[in-house]
Amino acid sequence: MLEHYWSVTTSLLPFLWKGFLETFYVSLVAIVVGSLIGALIGVVRSQRIPLLTGLFGLYIHVLRGTPFLVQLYVFYFVLPNTGISWLSWDSRTAAFVALSVYTSSYVAEIIKAAIEAVPRGQSEAATALGMNRIQRLWYVVFPQALKLTVPPMSSVYVMIIKSTAILSVVGISELTRQGEVSILRYPRDILFIYGLIAFIYFLYCYPVLRFARWAERRVGMARTVDLD
Amino acid sequence: MFANPIVSVEHISKTFRSAHGRSAHRALDDISLTLEKGEVLVIIGPSGSGKSTLLRTLNALESFDSGRIMVDGVSLADRSTDLNRLRAEIGMVFQNFNLFQHKTALENVVLPQIVVRKRSRSEALSRAQSLLEKVGIADRANHYSSQLSGGQQQRVAIARALAMDPKIMLFDEATSALDPEMVGGILDLMRGLAAEGMTMAVVTHEMGFAREVADRIIFMDAGRIVEEGTPGSFFTSPSHERTRAFLDQIL
Repeated sequence: MLEHYWSVTTSLLPFLWKGFLETFYVSLVAIVVGSLIGALIGVVRSQRIPLLTGLFGLYIHVLRGTPFLVQLYVFYFVLPNTGISWLSWDSRTAAFVALSVYTSSYVAEIIKAAIEAVPRGQSEAATALGMNRIQRLWYVVFPQALKLTVPPMSSVYVMIIKSTAILSVVGISELTRQGEVSILRYPRDILFIYGLIAFIYFLYCYPVLRFARWAERRVGMARTVDLD
Repeated sequence: MFANPIVSVEHISKTFRSAHGRSAHRALDDISLTLEKGEVLVIIGPSGSGKSTLLRTLNALESFDSGRIMVDGVSLADRSTDLNRLRAEIGMVFQNFNLFQHKTALENVVLPQIVVRKRSRSEALSRAQSLLEKVGIADRANHYSSQLSGGQQQRVAIARALAMDPKIMLFDEATSALDPEMVGGILDLMRGLAAEGMTMAVVTHEMGFAREVADRIIFMDAGRIVEEGTPGSFFTSPSHERTRAFLDQIL
């Protein structure tokens, strides 16, 4: 019995490894690109800039208020068929763009909330010292907001990693998809193979969560020391 | 005695409105005053009288609806005025200190010098160190604000404001959030600044300080200046009933 599972595992491992690499790659791209876009949008949203703030608000609410699967179908089926040439992308690009955009909506709300959670007096003191808006944000508000983003950001990142499984429905050869193909080869071992896949996802997500806890404690150090 | 106003406020008014304009509160009602170089002006009044709002209009932390404010020769309402540059010349000390929480005491004093005054780090550091010594907190230079008592935080905040070489210092109830035994030390610092000739506008409830240090006292109520005078005349023979009632309450 054990021998059987061992042989299934060893024969599938290179195949699943390929799937994991694709999962890793697409999640990394979505997290990096999505965080950059999200950070920009979040900063604008926290600043009440006419027109832009409202426009980005719409962007965020639509993305957060609809299922990712539906968004993926829009990027995969609808946009390439609009006849606009630069939108006629292949399925892999569609998946990468969809996940990055989805990520950006969550990151934007975290950044905005963190900026708004920095006490008003901090920015007011910076203003009174003669700093302009950019200097206030850069030297006073952002460093303090950054600490607040670590816990929610790590849960979004883990959520995004897990969401990559949905990309299997549009034929991206990521971990879940590779697992489903494997099941065609070993139909009787469906439970074992799904278990194996779940374990690989866990091996990816768990260090992210641990890292977040470590980072949270590190950046929080200065504030937790309290002599009163 | 004075001939050179560094601040002049002419007939300013300000109304706070709720989000949908359903209610309005007249915070400042036709306020006029001047502040001369080297003068210490103390503003007193009941809470909600507009004294903090008035102080905050002087460095444009608060806008006003009508009237004119001239500070150091420029008009605050003028669109061409660089408010950030002007604010660098006006130090402000807050009731809640507002030290930058992610910086040590020393770095709180260093940062604005580098960012706003464009000083080198070594110059900013030596200035910061000597100012922390001056306010009596040099031994806590490497502590964060969460590790300092209220009185210690306020000392750092005063050093931070002084590091910009301000022409005017504004104090917005600088001792109101302090434990009673901390108040005296901060008032001593303010007294010292006044003695050095610093131009100061001070919102406070400390009548002893007002009587002793002020060149002029303004009493505000409901957004208006009710009475203005020297400490001598103000405390011994207030001319308005409202002033007398207020002084009876707190003295």
